Amino acid sequence: MSNPLADMEKPDVIFCIGTNMTEAHPVAATRLKKALARGAKMIVADPRRIRLAEMADIYLPIRVGSDTALLLGMAHVIVRENLADQEFIATRTEGYDQLVDHLQEKTPQWAESITGVPAALIEEAAILYGSADKGAIYYTLGITEHICGVENVQSLCNLALLTGNFGREGTGVNPMRGQNNIQGAGDSGALPNNYAGFQPVDDAANQEKFEKAYGRKVDLEKGITKVTALDQCGDTIFAMLIDGENTVVSDPDQKHCIHALKSLDHLVVIDIFLTETAELADVVLPATSWAETDGHFVNTERRIQRVRKAVDPPGEAKPDWWIIGQIAQRMGMRGLDYSSPVPIFDELCELAPIYNGIDWELADGGQYQWPIPYRGHPGTPRLHEDEFINGRGKFSFTDYRDPAETIDDAYPLWLTTGRRLESYHTRTQTGRSEGINELLPEETLEVHPSDAARYGLHDGGWAKMSSRRGAVDVRVETTRRSPQGTVFASFSFADVPINVLTGSGYDPITQTAELKVCPVLVEPIGERVPLAAD
Amino acid sequence: MNTTASETKTTRTICGYCGVGCSLDLVTRDNRIIAVHPAFDGPANEGALCVKGQFAYDYVHHPDRLTHPLVRDAHGQLQQASWDEALERAAQGFMDVLKKYGRHAVYGVASGRTPSEANYMMQKFIRVGFGTNYIDNCSRA
Repeated sequence: MSNPLADMEKPDVIFCIGTNMTEAHPVAATRLKKALARGAKMIVADPRRIRLAEMADIYLPIRVGSDTALLLGMAHVIVRENLADQEFIATRTEGYDQLVDHLQEKTPQWAESITGVPAALIEEAAILYGSADKGAIYYTLGITEHICGVENVQSLCNLALLTGNFGREGTGVNPMRGQNNIQGAGDSGALPNNYAGFQPVDDAANQEKFEKAYGRKVDLEKGITKVTALDQCGDTIFAMLIDGENTVVSDPDQKHCIHALKSLDHLVVIDIFLTETAELADVVLPATSWAETDGHFVNTERRIQRVRKAVDPPGEAKPDWWIIGQIAQRMGMRGLDYSSPVPIFDELCELAPIYNGIDWELADGGQYQWPIPYRGHPGTPRLHEDEFINGRGKFSFTDYRDPAETIDDAYPLWLTTGRRLESYHTRTQTGRSEGINELLPEETLEVHPSDAARYGLHDGGWAKMSSRRGAVDVRVETTRRSPQGTVFASFSFADVPINVLTGSGYDPITQTAELKVCPVLVEPIGERVPLAAD
Repeated sequence: MNTTASETKTTRTICGYCGVGCSLDLVTRDNRIIAVHPAFDGPANEGALCVKGQFAYDYVHHPDRLTHPLVRDAHGQLQQASWDEALERAAQGFMDVLKKYGRHAVYGVASGRTPSEANYMMQKFIRVGFGTNYIDNCSRA
């Protein structure tokens, strides 16, 4: 997030797009509720009539995958209505004139033809956001899990740059991160393009810096992403070490994923349960859970917080850092023989400029949000206050593209996937929590009543849902939360493996899967056919 | 520390579910979590927790937890093994692939769920061990 969580109580106008925050980030959503109670206005764009949509002043029911068109239409209106912040544009941005040309044709009527949202409503939303003193944008995977995820984010940045909504309290462009330490994973350098602290691997100075630190020269070329690595299993990739990820259930195109992992010569999985992924491994190593380990999680507002061991692990389970260090030592690697997590974190702080100002001891209170460039620096709750990292904020000249697959006679409904409040990801944890299982015992497919009637489905009955990649059986729930023509399910339940269906395409830059859009056919079935053992 | 078996302990930590990073106190007794208390001084949550953070902690003590390393045997079955045996097998497998196919044949996937220390170790394992950037985390799917 560009701004701290506390800022979520401060905007005059909130714009939520592609975020089901009351379910996926419920505690953050309470901040927005406080802002609304104070009188803030809210715009919500989402294909589904989610809780946030019910709370919104303006709800924009966009067709899945049409976000860029909506955002371009809104930008057009902001320029046309003279709501652009000319002083901010002149002092902090570049490319405005070109953007104005680019937006010429992106009228609200054009946006309506793609998104299905009435032009008048798009105008109303643009004027509300454009007129705000403090306008804040919040988004989640509904923006990024598309083949045009990058364009979606750039289009959001255009709106904030146009209106000067950066670097001040209650403003910003704020992605809500989905996992407890997904931010920390990137910060720590677990990326094919960056060393720790987002230092590009293809910069020779960084290569030299890490050669000195690690005693080994690492390729100047970027590595491949996990998506590409899975594609190349059995072709160029022959061994994998997977730590704490249930790839088989969480990744798109399950059949392809299982085939990929099975084609490896050597698969080692570190996890706390025998997940569907661990079941495919040659070696499974038992790790400590969150309550049994010491270290740090970095949250969505870049806050580095200490995790503390409260109970002993069961049996012989060990901390992940110890396990990885042990494998390394048995391979004769140097510099991975740590005796505790403390020197590991201190090394990360030393090598990552955004962490330079802290160490294990200083991070204990959890008050630091990166960047903390030097000792004594207070941390940076709000990014881009005086200038952007690269000086000026650049407008992007984005355009709308269709999703990788679009509906047709064979697959006439849009499936969009997501999360539910009670379950977490692939349920390796929440599926083993008694109370949670009572609250949410099974997955259902949310279908609009008129679609149910059209396709012969009924509430509580079973359906077979198929895409170009596979089919799953799922119980139907008729609801007006789903718009006509779009169905929804979460990917959490291993016995309703929705990711058998997904995997139509990937963003060409980030290689993020288009998990939010998948054309499907839904047909009624009498009885559920049990999953065949693979 | 001189603690009796039934003494109740409180440990301040951070919720392990979503990216909001709520502070909470784990209340433990006899090496088991018996309750979660929201932290009113938690900067991200100021005393709030969701249904998962507040109640979904019992998986920690679930009988399905992995308690021993497992190694696939000649019949294709995963069998309980000692740490020594499992680590040796894990290391040998990577060395065999390295020797047979080269350093760009090994890939690491770090977790969005583990502490940063584990993520840092994963990337260092790949970079030091193989000299490649063949490392990613689960943020793309």
